[in-house]
Amino acid sequence: MWTYMLRRTLQGMLVLLLVSLVIFALVRSLPGDAILLQLDQAAALSKADLELARQELGIDRPFWQQYKTWMTGVLHGDLGKSLTSRKPVSQELGKRVALTFHLALMALLVALLIAIPIGIASAVWQDTVTDYIGRMFAILGLSFPDFWMATVAITFMAIWWHWMPPMGFEPVWIEPLKCVEQLCIPAVIIGARLSAVLMRMTRSALLEVLREDYIRTARAKGLRERAIIIKHGLKNACIPVVTLIGQQFSVLLGGAVIVEVIFLLPGVGSLTLDAVMLRDYTVVQGAVMFFATVMVGMNLLVDVSYAWFDPRIRYR
Amino acid sequence: MQRRFLLWACFGVSALLTLVMTWTAARAQGASTPPAPQPPEAFAYAAPALIKELDSKYPFPPPAPPSPPRRGGVLHVPTGVLRSFDPTVGYSTELSLVWDTLLEWESTWYFPEAHTKPMIRKSLAESWHMVDPSTWVFQLRQGVKFHNLPPVHGREMTADDVRYSYELLKNKPGYSNRTAAIQEVQVLDPYTVRFHLAIPDPNFPLNHVNSFSPVIVPKEAVEAEGGLGKYPIGTGAFLLKEFATGEGALLVKNPHYFMRDKDGQSLPYVDAIRLFFTRDAATEAALFRSRRVDMMRPPTLDMLNELLKTVPDAWLYRIPSLGWTNYGLWLPFGKPPYNDVRVRQAISMALNRDIIAETINRGDASLYGPFPWVQAGYMQRDDYSYANLGPNYTYNPKRAKELLAEAGHPNGLEMTIEWGEFRGAAWSDFVVSAARFLEDIGIRVKLKQVDTSTWWAMRSGAQPFNDVLASFTPPGSGPSFMDWVYLPHHSSSPPTVNIPHIADAKLDALLDAWRAATGERQLAIQKQVWDYLREQVYRVTTIVPPHYRLTQAYLHAGGVPYCWFIGFCSYEGKSAWLTDKVPNRKFDKFAQ
Repeated sequence: MWTYMLRRTLQGMLVLLLVSLVIFALVRSLPGDAILLQLDQAAALSKADLELARQELGIDRPFWQQYKTWMTGVLHGDLGKSLTSRKPVSQELGKRVALTFHLALMALLVALLIAIPIGIASAVWQDTVTDYIGRMFAILGLSFPDFWMATVAITFMAIWWHWMPPMGFEPVWIEPLKCVEQLCIPAVIIGARLSAVLMRMTRSALLEVLREDYIRTARAKGLRERAIIIKHGLKNACIPVVTLIGQQFSVLLGGAVIVEVIFLLPGVGSLTLDAVMLRDYTVVQGAVMFFATVMVGMNLLVDVSYAWFDPRIRYR
Repeated sequence: MQRRFLLWACFGVSALLTLVMTWTAARAQGASTPPAPQPPEAFAYAAPALIKELDSKYPFPPPAPPSPPRRGGVLHVPTGVLRSFDPTVGYSTELSLVWDTLLEWESTWYFPEAHTKPMIRKSLAESWHMVDPSTWVFQLRQGVKFHNLPPVHGREMTADDVRYSYELLKNKPGYSNRTAAIQEVQVLDPYTVRFHLAIPDPNFPLNHVNSFSPVIVPKEAVEAEGGLGKYPIGTGAFLLKEFATGEGALLVKNPHYFMRDKDGQSLPYVDAIRLFFTRDAATEAALFRSRRVDMMRPPTLDMLNELLKTVPDAWLYRIPSLGWTNYGLWLPFGKPPYNDVRVRQAISMALNRDIIAETINRGDASLYGPFPWVQAGYMQRDDYSYANLGPNYTYNPKRAKELLAEAGHPNGLEMTIEWGEFRGAAWSDFVVSAARFLEDIGIRVKLKQVDTSTWWAMRSGAQPFNDVLASFTPPGSGPSFMDWVYLPHHSSSPPTVNIPHIADAKLDALLDAWRAATGERQLAIQKQVWDYLREQVYRVTTIVPPHYRLTQAYLHAGGVPYCWFIGFCSYEGKSAWLTDKVPNRKFDKFAQ
């Protein structure tokens, strides 16, 4: 088990190294740079002034030198300074991570609360009205994009009730009610879409498991149907669902960008969007490294959790 | 059994759908060939009626609000995302709420004449005089103090601060256009500074009138660890209490602000301004409808109409634009075929500006010439007509084709128009319309969308554009003829100012003559420049929509053509006031 984890961690580090190289090269291949984009409406800087400004930010040096400096900093826990706000990137990210995690967790909770019961019902009562309604819900959830649902929600709430969620963010451990008030609508919008994916996966996985021999044996032994479905069926059907949750959670962290923008939520997604628009290389690099690290960590966690769901799985 | 049922059900639904579609198509076909010719339906275009209604319901200039103003309250304002609140990092309009400039535009509600003519308000400078067109002396207001915060501790602002600030910000992005002509700033005594200019400028004071010109900052705060980002200290009407990146800012009233209203009462009236950084027009509209913000700028007439339907008691300031956000095409004049005036004239004549106005903003827009009307001596709204623009700006595809043929392009030519999305602007609509009209005269247009940042860099002159760029006002366009016309058209200007690289000896001579002239002679030369530019079509301009500002019924915050943005010159924040109908607001802190 420990050998497996060590091996996976080393593999994860290699992935992160590759990600760092790719993102470092990609952001620099975009046209324009932070200096050009700060020129705004009154530009009369000479070429020499532009070069000086680039020199101050260190973006005039060769690619490898810039990469080396940045990586050395990263290995020492320093992600560099934002090229636009001149504040440390770790500080900028740190402020936003809490909100993004809150939103992702709440959306996941909403998704699970919707997806698991409907998925089970769809599988147990396969090809009945319940199943059709469940599947129709899933198709609808997949068909409506987040940004559309968010825009419609925010517009109609404002027109009908002159209300929209309070702006800003209070962590759940400080003001739980306010936190829920601020994040419930965006979480439902993101969660509804995710629930459609999870519901389909739960249904198909459970259908497969319910046709297994050991389920038939359990029924033959006279076990109650509820025990068969929950204890024997659902637990075993969870493996693909958990894999999907692991993948989707990482997607949730980065994929909530548009919803964050529409609901004025200061999360990592909106920070990344602003940074890309302003060619703030260091912030983009820091944010992408954050997402990549979470992705690698989540995948490892998901793999390790398989053993709990299915004791037959052994790590070598 | 169930599967068979499903199969039949699917078949049944499909058959039903086919039947319905066939029946509908048959009816439609029948309807298209009516037995007797019917008179055509009247063109049901609602916008002119709406525009007329807006004209009468929200007149310009707007009526003066009741007096005296009420004090107190927190003004909520949406604005674009600011990455920092530090003048040394970059320019943004909101900075002028904290930092003052030497002069500013008057826009307060108690000076209604400010709506129709530019009025300069003496801010940090009390008076000025021209020694010669290259030397100007400014007398500073005495007793103006910086905010009473460490490390400055409320000391008095003096001429040394003015010199320091101009030298510090001279080459910083955002300020450089206004300071391009300044060679040296001399301190004559604690309250007097002398500016030596590299280019003589009889209108030099206009370069100090808003926050595009350097704001005055204290040296101690700039040089302290963390700089102005950590110590945002100025002389302005507000103190920056909180700045949350990506979220917003809270500015509280400076109790010792030096400026007074016409009755000698202290400014500002509101206790605080809370800025909300928004990125999306729908979000801003929702904030306005739910009274989370007190004003907003709907980008289009359609959105304005929708908002007025759902917030019927809102007040609209519909302000004719001087020229900001005009829609036009920039051509690289140094390169063929655009170095041929006939090609430029053909391009301009090919565009139907009436249709473009309707496409972009339902017809609520003014025609726009080579530079703002007012600088050519046209002051009335009726002046904004084709009569004053001449044939080169009038839709005439037949003549355009002839001109192209005369220029050696009887079979037309290829053109690539680069454009980018920009918040509040309808560039996609504009380029599609322009391409459609250009195709009519044989110009085969390829539209190339670039990302906003690239487009911005192109229009700033920091990055070259390949063929033709769809863009508005040249960068650095401020209130003066110097900014709007002289610098962007003179061959001696750097490529970041004279972006299309105009090099015309006759135009240079006219501009130089303008620079040296004064009084009536100077105005006459401005008209000559106008006529010359109309003939040469160095900028293919089309239309400019008005600015819309919606405010809640409980807010009085005027906007004038010369100072429209909140904080653009810091004015409205200082003189805005809220009635007792303002929602009771808790002083919520930001997330970060």
